[in-house]
Amino acid sequence: MSDKSVSYDELAPGYNFPPATYELNASLVSKYLRAVDSPGDGFVPPLAITACAIAAMIKSLSLPPGTIAIHASQELEFFKLMPVGATIECRSRVAQKITRGKMSMLILETEIFDKNGEKVQAGKATVALPG
Amino acid sequence: MVRDIRESQALNPVVKHITQEKINLYAEASGDFNPIHVDEAFAARTPLGGTIAHGMLSLAYVSEMMTSAFGRSWVSGGKLRARFKEAARPGDTLTISGKIDCVEQKDNVSYANCTFECRNQKGETIVVGEAAVKVSK
Repeated sequence: MSDKSVSYDELAPGYNFPPATYELNASLVSKYLRAVDSPGDGFVPPLAITACAIAAMIKSLSLPPGTIAIHASQELEFFKLMPVGATIECRSRVAQKITRGKMSMLILETEIFDKNGEKVQAGKATVALPG
Repeated sequence: MVRDIRESQALNPVVKHITQEKINLYAEASGDFNPIHVDEAFAARTPLGGTIAHGMLSLAYVSEMMTSAFGRSWVSGGKLRARFKEAARPGDTLTISGKIDCVEQKDNVSYANCTFECRNQKGETIVVGEAAVKVSK
């Protein structure tokens, strides 16, 4: 994944975040399970996979200091169970960018694939950035 | 697991207590260190008046309830739509509940259509939404 970050002003509908690859290793899964206070079920929780996609976007996005980002809504669809140790690729894009007065809203779409290119998960998030 | 998949069947609720430590752990797991979640001094100066939990943390609890109810069917064929209504804060106890609204057939496959909500100890709604999962009936 590129370390180059994009500023909020540079984000435009159709912008593709740099794809990011993650190995869903035991350490990553265990860290996630501890965070969500869950014993786990022997496979990778689907929202741990979503968290990877969020991490990839945040890593490549540079917001002005002090920006508050509020998650307004989330859609998710899960297609495939992933075992611990699997590798995924996260691809996210800006679907819409809406500005109303001081309030901005981003609609972000994400698709996650396994190493064979099969879709694991799809999602759409609405994030509000109050001015 | 839900043994009796029928309309109005309640799902076993999940109850979680939110602490700043858990929020910090989620920030580490997701890479989301927005100061509204992890910087108590910064958050106190905002209109929110203090740190708030990540919306995805509350949603993780919803997914835990759905996994408990439907097992691998949820993980490999579930979908949800959630709206974050209020912020969950350190000190909150969240109760995530849900029920099967209806079971419908599409292309010879049964789907359990569910609604869910997450409320805090004051009864305030934190998250509401709908979920659907393939089931064998």
